[in-house]
Amino acid sequence: MDLSLFQDPIFLAQNLVDGLSRGALYGVYAIGFTLIFGVLDILNLAHAATFMWCAFAGYLVMAEAELPLPLGLAAAMLAGAAIALLLELLAFRPLRREGADKLSAMISSIGASLILVSLAEAIFGAQTRRFPNSVLDPKPHFIGGAGGVRISNAQILILIASLVLMVAMGLFIRRTRMGKAIRAVAANQKAARLLGIDVNGVIVVTFLVAGALAGAAGILVALLTNNIVPGMGSQIELRGLAVVILGGMGNIEGAVVGGFILGLVETFTIAYVPGGSDIKDAIVFFILFIILLVKPNGIMGKLKADRA
Amino acid sequence: MKRTLLSMAITVAVIGGIQAAPLPTTIKVGSAESLTGDNASYGVSIRQGIELGIEEMNASGLLGSAKLQLVIYDDKADKQEGISVFNKLINDDKVVTIIGPTLSGTAFACVPIAQKAGVPVIGTSLTAVGITAMGNYVFRDSLPQAAVIPGTLAAVAAKYKPKKAALLFQADQEYSKSEADVYKASLAKAGIELVASESYSKGDADFRTQLSKLAAKKPDIFVFCSLIGEAIPVLQQAREIGITQPILGGNGFNNPNVIKNGKEAAEGLIVGASWFVESKNSRSKAFVASYTKKYGSAPDQFAVQGYTAVQILATAIKSAGSADRAAIRDSLAKIKNLDTALGTFSFDENRDPVHPSTPITVKGGKYALFE
Repeated sequence: MDLSLFQDPIFLAQNLVDGLSRGALYGVYAIGFTLIFGVLDILNLAHAATFMWCAFAGYLVMAEAELPLPLGLAAAMLAGAAIALLLELLAFRPLRREGADKLSAMISSIGASLILVSLAEAIFGAQTRRFPNSVLDPKPHFIGGAGGVRISNAQILILIASLVLMVAMGLFIRRTRMGKAIRAVAANQKAARLLGIDVNGVIVVTFLVAGALAGAAGILVALLTNNIVPGMGSQIELRGLAVVILGGMGNIEGAVVGGFILGLVETFTIAYVPGGSDIKDAIVFFILFIILLVKPNGIMGKLKADRA
Repeated sequence: MKRTLLSMAITVAVIGGIQAAPLPTTIKVGSAESLTGDNASYGVSIRQGIELGIEEMNASGLLGSAKLQLVIYDDKADKQEGISVFNKLINDDKVVTIIGPTLSGTAFACVPIAQKAGVPVIGTSLTAVGITAMGNYVFRDSLPQAAVIPGTLAAVAAKYKPKKAALLFQADQEYSKSEADVYKASLAKAGIELVASESYSKGDADFRTQLSKLAAKKPDIFVFCSLIGEAIPVLQQAREIGITQPILGGNGFNNPNVIKNGKEAAEGLIVGASWFVESKNSRSKAFVASYTKKYGSAPDQFAVQGYTAVQILATAIKSAGSADRAAIRDSLAKIKNLDTALGTFSFDENRDPVHPSTPITVKGGKYALFE
């Protein structure tokens, strides 16, 4: 075991930066995922495929049409909202109308995911794509000179963007009428309908927001990893699920906190544990397991439990 | 007199008939390659090489009136799929030989089936340790890692005289792990200290933490054993975090996509190649010209290996005078000093290829000889 690494403060700071940016990414992805779960009680397993398509949308806008980053981000979020809306209208609503159970909806989302991924494979092929350097300069900044902590523009953007999105989401859910309506539908759909809330309308808004968040996550991940492929959703999908469970299903603050915890644990495992990169998945899920033993509803509890 | 003449004529005809023992009009050659997914760039390259090879073989009339016919399926770089495809080729399509699969990992799962069924297999991209050890029906024309790596390392060591090296590989992938092991052994033999070794797993896209760990040990050279899907981000992220030392790539980096998508990050990369597109070998030059004409882009190492596999197979069939699987196997094993686009080619006693290899580097956005 190499102890010198533990004594290196720069390495520690570096891992904090890397872990927090990774965690921020997981958080942005997970908020959208947990929102749909909170409101509809279903796991939208097509969230990862949506996320992937938004990265491609951003690629088409920024690399092919050569438009700047803000437009690319906007395009990705719009694409995400559009795909999520399609999912709601084609994959979820018909089942809800028939009174199908939540499991059918989950399976339907798996089917939608397969279709989305296959379409991407057929259209884009397996070749790796990346955004051109003009979008965001990939040269990192070294804090305190050449040997210092490294932070890239992508990481800075991720940290800022995710904070902004998380705060905005928090305000939206707590302070706006629509946010209240979403919480009402999440607590009890029937009661909300009786109170005159347009439940289907609220669900549509939920999907639009979740999709837009998936879009933002897609662009941010693509900026960080420079690896846009149809299969890019599979890795984050599992992490997203872990974050959602960790933070409490349907709990937005939980998704944020869970995301950061996961990102930090993953990075520190690779950095400090010998053979860490091989066992990081095992460690992440082991910690998840331990936390669930102590707090079965996640660190911050389920959205519903909060309201009860 | 007439009867004698007649019996003589019949005898001659019979003897002549036995000697001519014609090959079947259509000889089915099977192939399993990764045609979709991350590793499709290798599989598609190989397929194009094979198809060009078959086209030329049939046009040349080497096998008389017999024609080679390709039956190819996508192995999806998946073990289960590989097994299923192999069974299909052996039992349903009844091919005489199988070329493929693309990845060593897939091969370990499905090639034993061919060995058991007595169907020869020719690997054109399998470089891991242990491939031909699976049985005497298993051949490969892709130089194994143990053959290429020491030579490449020697060339790099001669130029840079490194004392310390750092290694990054994919822990859950057979080819990458095998290559990493060969590198570890070769580095030790060359007297270069391996100061750090890190790995990643399938699906990972951010390698910066592992790369930082490697860089912290201040090695003189870096060795990366990755498949193409990860090779490009690994290269880019390495350069991004400030690694300036020479980078030695494994066989997975022998892919023009590394230059195409890696762009500036690929500059200076060193790879041990079994073949180089600018090779002066006349068969190679002819191949490069026909391939570029047919497909609109230059071939890579995998395409030429696929192409050569067809030449080797056709030569074996002709020598055997038969399309019988066992006869082909015996004939393949005897191939020595065949003039191919890869150079003078022979199979050694383990059915591994013997032909010269070339370290190459990326210079000015193109592959060039490393010296």
